[in-house]
Amino acid sequence: MADLVGVNGQREHFRVVGKPNLPGVLSYALATGIAKFGIDYTAPDMLHAKFLRSPYAHARIVSIDTTRARALPGVVDIVLWDDPDLMKLGASPFGPPKSYLGNVAHQELQEVGAIVVAETEDICNEALRLLDVKWEVLPHVVDLKKGMQPDFPAIRTPEDEGPPDMFSARNPNDPPKRGNVSYVSKIEGNIEEGYRQADYIIEYDTNLPAFASHIPNPPASIAWWFDDPYHGPGKSLRIEGAVQRRENIARMYGMPPEKTVQEGLFQGGKYCDWGMRMSQEITPLLAKRTGRPVRCANTREETFDFLMNQRFMHIKVGFTKDGLITVVDDNSIADNGRPGNSSFGVANDQGYGPYYTFKCENISQKYTVVDSNRGKMYLSGQHCPFNWDAGTMAIALIAEKLGKDPVEIAKLNLHGPTSQKDPNPVPSFEACLETGKKLMNWNWHPSRAKRLPDGRLHGSSFRYQICPRHAFSGYDCKLELRDGKVHLPTQGPCTGIYAVEANAMVVAEELGLQYEDIVVDFDYREKFTPVGGGSDGTTASSWATKECANILKRKILEAAIEEAENPPPPSMFGFGAPRQPSPFKGRKPEELDMADGKVVLKDDHSVGVPLAQATAKNIFATYSGRPPAAIWSLGMGKMLDTMNTAWCEVAVDEETGVVEILKLGVVADPGKVMRLTSLESQIDQVMFFSQGCQLLEDYFYDERTGVRLNNNMIEYKKPTMVDVPDVTRKFLETRAGNAAYGASGISHSLANTHLIIIAIYNAIGVWVDPPATPDKVLKALGKA
Amino acid sequence: MSNDNGVRVTHAAAQAQAAETIASIPSVLSEYSCTLCKKVFMSYSDLKYHYETEHADAVLPVTVKLHVNGRDCEVLVEPQSTLKQTLQFKLGLTGAKEMCNEGACGSCTVIMDGRAVLSCTLLTVECEGKDIQTVEGIAADPKWKPLVDAYCKWDAMQCGFCTPGFLVTAKALLDRNPHPTEEEIKDALAGNICICGTYPRHSTAILEAAAIMAKGGLVNG
Repeated sequence: MADLVGVNGQREHFRVVGKPNLPGVLSYALATGIAKFGIDYTAPDMLHAKFLRSPYAHARIVSIDTTRARALPGVVDIVLWDDPDLMKLGASPFGPPKSYLGNVAHQELQEVGAIVVAETEDICNEALRLLDVKWEVLPHVVDLKKGMQPDFPAIRTPEDEGPPDMFSARNPNDPPKRGNVSYVSKIEGNIEEGYRQADYIIEYDTNLPAFASHIPNPPASIAWWFDDPYHGPGKSLRIEGAVQRRENIARMYGMPPEKTVQEGLFQGGKYCDWGMRMSQEITPLLAKRTGRPVRCANTREETFDFLMNQRFMHIKVGFTKDGLITVVDDNSIADNGRPGNSSFGVANDQGYGPYYTFKCENISQKYTVVDSNRGKMYLSGQHCPFNWDAGTMAIALIAEKLGKDPVEIAKLNLHGPTSQKDPNPVPSFEACLETGKKLMNWNWHPSRAKRLPDGRLHGSSFRYQICPRHAFSGYDCKLELRDGKVHLPTQGPCTGIYAVEANAMVVAEELGLQYEDIVVDFDYREKFTPVGGGSDGTTASSWATKECANILKRKILEAAIEEAENPPPPSMFGFGAPRQPSPFKGRKPEELDMADGKVVLKDDHSVGVPLAQATAKNIFATYSGRPPAAIWSLGMGKMLDTMNTAWCEVAVDEETGVVEILKLGVVADPGKVMRLTSLESQIDQVMFFSQGCQLLEDYFYDERTGVRLNNNMIEYKKPTMVDVPDVTRKFLETRAGNAAYGASGISHSLANTHLIIIAIYNAIGVWVDPPATPDKVLKALGKA
Repeated sequence: MSNDNGVRVTHAAAQAQAAETIASIPSVLSEYSCTLCKKVFMSYSDLKYHYETEHADAVLPVTVKLHVNGRDCEVLVEPQSTLKQTLQFKLGLTGAKEMCNEGACGSCTVIMDGRAVLSCTLLTVECEGKDIQTVEGIAADPKWKPLVDAYCKWDAMQCGFCTPGFLVTAKALLDRNPHPTEEEIKDALAGNICICGTYPRHSTAILEAAAIMAKGGLVNG
């Protein structure tokens, strides 16, 4: 158990935390459809806006003639990219003047050149068709291997390049960019020595295709301006649809936060795609220009603008006869996407990758990063954090080479809790392995060694991950005892991870109340926003909330004693029953406790007063502070605490190429289970994400035009209810995390790109790059 | 969405809000507004004359009589308007959600004459005289409390955007098959896509609701 600082970190008995089947505070709104997302909002006299979007993968607008479009009845406004309003909106204190909306598109369907505002969406679309746009079509890259050829024209100018983001690599020894190719490397240890120590070297190539983020609710916003004299002179801004970004919108339009109103709570799915789309930002400007509410919504095809970057991996791993890895030599080609693409999944995993859980310290990571016109990753995505499965594959291939169980190879190579030099086992990992082996009735076999009674080949696989959890928000919390009830004020939002609920459960636990007793007050003006940490609702904010609850508790007990000694005078009107003498007279606050909804004597819970009667005061408690930093964030994979394992069994039909997942198993150590039902659901989510990207999902481009061919939900396949297998789950509680009670959550650490692929390899003995569709399986088997 | 207990939305609060939304559906057209220039007319024939004289090249909106959630109403829509658009922009019903807009995801599901249908691929003019039920109608009907309760109890939602579509499909299933098996539930909901991957939760919730409704009881009291 972690030696957590803070109150009750070591609590042993839980009444509320960990309890299943507690409805979310907004679940009824979601289930019944009364919850409104950005795309749902309407307003009287509302206008609609649509962006011109590029039909080309890479093109510059030379000119736009708006005459015919402006003449269309119902068109209210057309804003061109060089309009002063857009120049002002895109202004930055650094660099040359730049419009918010450019005249160069770096991706098909990218917003470019013009915005049309009209009475209906149909009129917008017709007006866009009537714009006479002269395009200069520019060279494009949708095939990375072509784009990286020395004679291929560069697709970006220096002006296209934005400033490096927080995840950009910073190795001064990397070669300078040439054409479309930049280089990112990180070399640690002694690579030559690692090769010398190796008895075997395996070398493998794999293609990790791009995946769509696929947020369910197409991004959209509506905005209007209104008089609000209570918050100062000038108009106030109402915007809906930019959930969690109200203050960003306020800054964008030079508005004080108190005059920027956003009441909507429902963000919809984001899956760590934290980028804002232009449709969520532009409506305040258009509403100001037209004097009417303006709505702007992406279509589904426009929402296929995000991609998890493609990567071609070429990896060499040296290892000894017993399977100990001595060197990892990773030479990958990574998609850099269009300008503005986050470096998160391109280079950041060099700083925190799968290899750092190995004892081996000879690690070379050299990435060739290719600019493209394929799409943009806004910040991160949920499919495979940090390219983890490069390491999973190494373990699987070593196991096959040596004919040994990959679990044993993983155990041999995993370093200890404190560093890569630590030879001790990681308790969480060991526990996950033992439980997982029992759960799956694990009996690994070499490839092609097992057939099922129906003749199909059987394959199995295993992977592990650490539980990287978010710890970046929600440390300024407030609780109120108001009219006898405990209130938890928060700005929310409702993101689907039930983080608010987990925090309410912690408050209830600490105050001797039930979950239902905690009143959650959603208010966009509040600061407390417990986001992050996955659907188990476990966030580091719960630690701060726990501290705050205990401050409130102390104040309540002090008030109960104070009122026992000096009962408040009766109401001047004499309403209500006479107040009973307090049983706490002569006691001290430290002799009291809270239990079962009452203030009680610590040593005799039968003596108590219901909370609402213990004090007539309204009491406020605040707390601002962080929990101890997560081991993950300190060690970046080189220190290990809570971990998880995932397991898979497949059957492969050699005649048809069809892969059936027989079983998915997960044993996860979230530190402490906070909200069981949503933790289970989070596990299902990441496993089905993983199933989709390994068996179904891929982007297809017309190479000649650079146009994406399957940006719709019919041809871009996601798993449905009849596709998904049962997921068997077990949770362990080592209390080794840094949220309340040693929780850490699982975040999306179980999302993976190769668990099923490796099981297929174990079945058929040949590699199939994801997605392993039947045609690709047959091709790998030499049958197609 | 506030009530005496903060913003914790109870079934009663959701039911009341859904009922209020349904009650707000305008029953008859009292005026006829030109989509293109916003001029308002007191009769459809005046509007028609206006289009003929002022917007001869434009498509004349049409009036359609609908029966939604038990209420008769009349809407003025473009002939190409989908039922999804009409529900949102003319009737204020936003429970049917727009995810794919091409009949692939089930988020906009409504029940029409007893069948689960996709409102994004139905023209409003096709729906005249049909009995349409949206998720708001199900939410407002206390009979279906066990289903809503079970969805909430089992977290059959994460981000919640697709959830109303699932709930409507589930209701349509239970209408025709009050005792479905898990396989029948999977088959019925195969056209609803949940990107958050809540699929197993739906079967659990629907099976529980079906059992409780068979006994005439309520989930969570």
